[in-house]
Amino acid sequence: MKLKKILAGTMAVCMLIAMSACSNSPASVPSSSSEDSGSNATSSTESSNKVVLSPDKPVTLTAWITTQETAPAPDNKITKLIKDELGVTIEYQIVTPDNVDQAIGVMIAGGDYPDLVGTTDLKLRLLEAGALRKLDDYLATGNYPKLSEYVEPYVKRMSYIGTAVEKGLYIFPNYNRFFGEIQGGTHWGTGFWIQKRVLVDAGYPDLSNMTLEKYFGLIENFMAKNPKTEGQPTIGFEVLAATGHEWGLTNPPQFLAGYPNNGGVIVDDKNVATIFADKQIAKDYFQVLNKEYAKGVIDSESFTQTFDQYLAKLATGRVLGMHDQRWDFGTANDALVAAGKPELTWVACMPTYEGVQPWYMDRDVMNINQGFGVSVTCKQPEVALAFLDTMLTDKWQKIISWGIEGEDYMVDKDGKFYRTQQQRDNYNNVTWRASNRLMALRDVLPKHNGSFDDGNAFSPDDQPREFFDSLLKYDQDFLKSYNKQTWRQFMNQPKDNPAYYPCWNIALSDEVNQINQQLTDANVQYLPKIIMGSTDSFEKNWTEYVDAIHKVNVKAYEDAINAGIQERVKNWQ
Amino acid sequence: MAEIAVKKNNDLDVTIVKKKNKLGAKIIAQRGLILMSVPILLYKILFAYVPIYGWLIAFQNYKPQIRNIFKQQWVGLDNFKKLFTGLMGDRFIRDIINTLGQSLLTLILSTVFAIVLSLMLNEVKNTAFKRVVQNITYMPHFLSWIIVTGLVSVALSLPSSGGFINSTLMALHLIKEPILFLSKPDYFWGIVAGSNLWKELGWNTILYVAAMTAIDPTLYEAAEIDGAGRYSKIWNVTLPGIRPTIVILLVMSTGYILQTGFELPYFLGNGVVVERAETIDVFVMRYGYQLGNYNLAVVAGIFKTAVGLVVVGLSNFVSGRLGQETLV
Repeated sequence: MKLKKILAGTMAVCMLIAMSACSNSPASVPSSSSEDSGSNATSSTESSNKVVLSPDKPVTLTAWITTQETAPAPDNKITKLIKDELGVTIEYQIVTPDNVDQAIGVMIAGGDYPDLVGTTDLKLRLLEAGALRKLDDYLATGNYPKLSEYVEPYVKRMSYIGTAVEKGLYIFPNYNRFFGEIQGGTHWGTGFWIQKRVLVDAGYPDLSNMTLEKYFGLIENFMAKNPKTEGQPTIGFEVLAATGHEWGLTNPPQFLAGYPNNGGVIVDDKNVATIFADKQIAKDYFQVLNKEYAKGVIDSESFTQTFDQYLAKLATGRVLGMHDQRWDFGTANDALVAAGKPELTWVACMPTYEGVQPWYMDRDVMNINQGFGVSVTCKQPEVALAFLDTMLTDKWQKIISWGIEGEDYMVDKDGKFYRTQQQRDNYNNVTWRASNRLMALRDVLPKHNGSFDDGNAFSPDDQPREFFDSLLKYDQDFLKSYNKQTWRQFMNQPKDNPAYYPCWNIALSDEVNQINQQLTDANVQYLPKIIMGSTDSFEKNWTEYVDAIHKVNVKAYEDAINAGIQERVKNWQ
Repeated sequence: MAEIAVKKNNDLDVTIVKKKNKLGAKIIAQRGLILMSVPILLYKILFAYVPIYGWLIAFQNYKPQIRNIFKQQWVGLDNFKKLFTGLMGDRFIRDIINTLGQSLLTLILSTVFAIVLSLMLNEVKNTAFKRVVQNITYMPHFLSWIIVTGLVSVALSLPSSGGFINSTLMALHLIKEPILFLSKPDYFWGIVAGSNLWKELGWNTILYVAAMTAIDPTLYEAAEIDGAGRYSKIWNVTLPGIRPTIVILLVMSTGYILQTGFELPYFLGNGVVVERAETIDVFVMRYGYQLGNYNLAVVAGIFKTAVGLVVVGLSNFVSGRLGQETLV
């Protein structure tokens, strides 16, 4: 009995020691490295202070990532490679985009952040709450050549220019900082999507000079002929209005009127922005939707379903059309491709009002509100930056994007990358990707979009030959029938973006964000009523909606956007 | 005479000593219980009373990047004014009504049904069957709300999305066209109360069933001799027997009348039904935390606490006046 007690006591003491040792060690490592950084600025010999990642010095980085992708499987081969070669273990905390607003709010209230913060936030709240480190001084040490190269030409554009914290660079944008030639086959942006089988059935109709009548006409004809899809009722048109994706409901009027995507405003030639929600261009669009709803073309569950339910519905293949952005419904598209049903995937149309040139596709916009920042509570910022810097080298970029040479892709005699059919099938398999790709990390890492120095494109999807070869036979025939090689060719030739473009990522103050939220709330409360209401009461419902909009302080919102436009015109030249 | 006086004095001394001893003895006798309550007291002080200093935020223009709460800008009652006036005020008042409506309906439905189910369980003489029924009705309590809301939203959807309520109603020819339950504002309170009932009914019966087992069986025997039937026994013996429990539970739940109601309206609500769906907690989440407007969140929190305290106090007072059980 006594012996047991003594044993238990010693064990308890040992555990206490072990625990305190554990909690000491991570704290002591960073403190020495932060001293290093202090001497960096003055020291002339750089190499000695530089953090070199190696398997001998294992480190763990916590990464908070906003993404639709899932965390990698425990046996992931790239995770293992990073651990074996760099000694880095990433601990993932993944938040889906529709939950990100509340997650950020709660995280700021708590004040404790992971090392790397992969944010997707138009409101830049983490930055404005002082959660992120300013990166300029770190990059100035010259210890992170790849990150410096990534940032330098565009540093003004990437830098924060508000008033909440010091101006400067805080995050590394994750998409569309291009290197070399921009190649690519997929249109990731916006459009009125229509299922390929609808077009095939209609005999590949001409898609230029598209109007809403033609678009819905195609859908109605097909629906009349095919009321059921795989035993379930066919849905003509799905309206996306889920939390965080309300733009699916509200954006179309600006495209129909020939404007590019500026979010809730249209901007005239003199760079003056006004909201369009209460204007004629919006009224005309919602009147069309109202009529289509009455005809039973529009899904009556559009406004009550969550984003997951929306995606699940798309993935069943019974939705003929919707307004959305290609990246947003990517997982539904992937699921249909993986199931071998390319005829149920969609191609983009660009309906406009009479006499208007479409501007659906813009020049790809750098995502200045998305990407990794280093948090203020990160105890090892040098390690975190060294990791990001290493990931930006061509070698790791290829691993992240193409995979392992010989296993996931091949190199032909000209040095061009391509994949075998088996490798393509692997990549299309979501389960395979969980074990062999780091999709979530890739989503938010800074990327070498465009081309590598050896002429290969950043990803298989961008490599022209590989893009076409990897299409299913159905898609190849489809493209040939339209005499096109890529999906991008279905879109307009993008004009140069205006100097301030786009308005949707202008950082707003708390007050204005609140107004913006009130506008969004008015949209999701009244627009569904207008669409679902009887066609006779359209005028009455519309007046009610416009009144609700005018109760909100619209002028303060427009003023803030216009101030942002002027600031950008001044700074971004 | 003198003797008696002395004796009296002695008596007095004795009683004083006895009294002192009594309190001391009581403490000594109950030292285990007192020791046990110390951690709970500390817990309450640490986590329920100390954090109240955070209410200061209600009177500040709080910016999280200034880490110190005492270095914020003071704005007096501005935040209260903002919450109760203008567009925000209309919304907040509507949300108070929704919160009250949803919780009152939930409270009434769940109390009535829990009592009815307990009475029915109490009448079941086959223990095995009783246990099975109890276990089945408890089960949903252990599901998290996010799962329940998922089930509810599927159950209420169109038949093609798996909405079995609509398919059942249509198969029974009660309706011709499926009903879009979640896009009808007027149904929302009912949906909230119904979902609560489904999840918590079994759990809510536990205390009532326990109270019923404590009723003296001789009362039933006496009632039987007086010629009481089954219903008469329920009405005249069982129900009066659990009356104190019912009253105490009701008084306690009134304190939560503004506290409940986040998950269901948050996950099931949408733009179409927002006028009946949004509760105070959802409002706080959307306009407070999501927009980084912590002042507003705290002001709403203070309001809820104040109303909760007043309501509990009132119902406790009323219950005392009616000669029923009270909390203190």
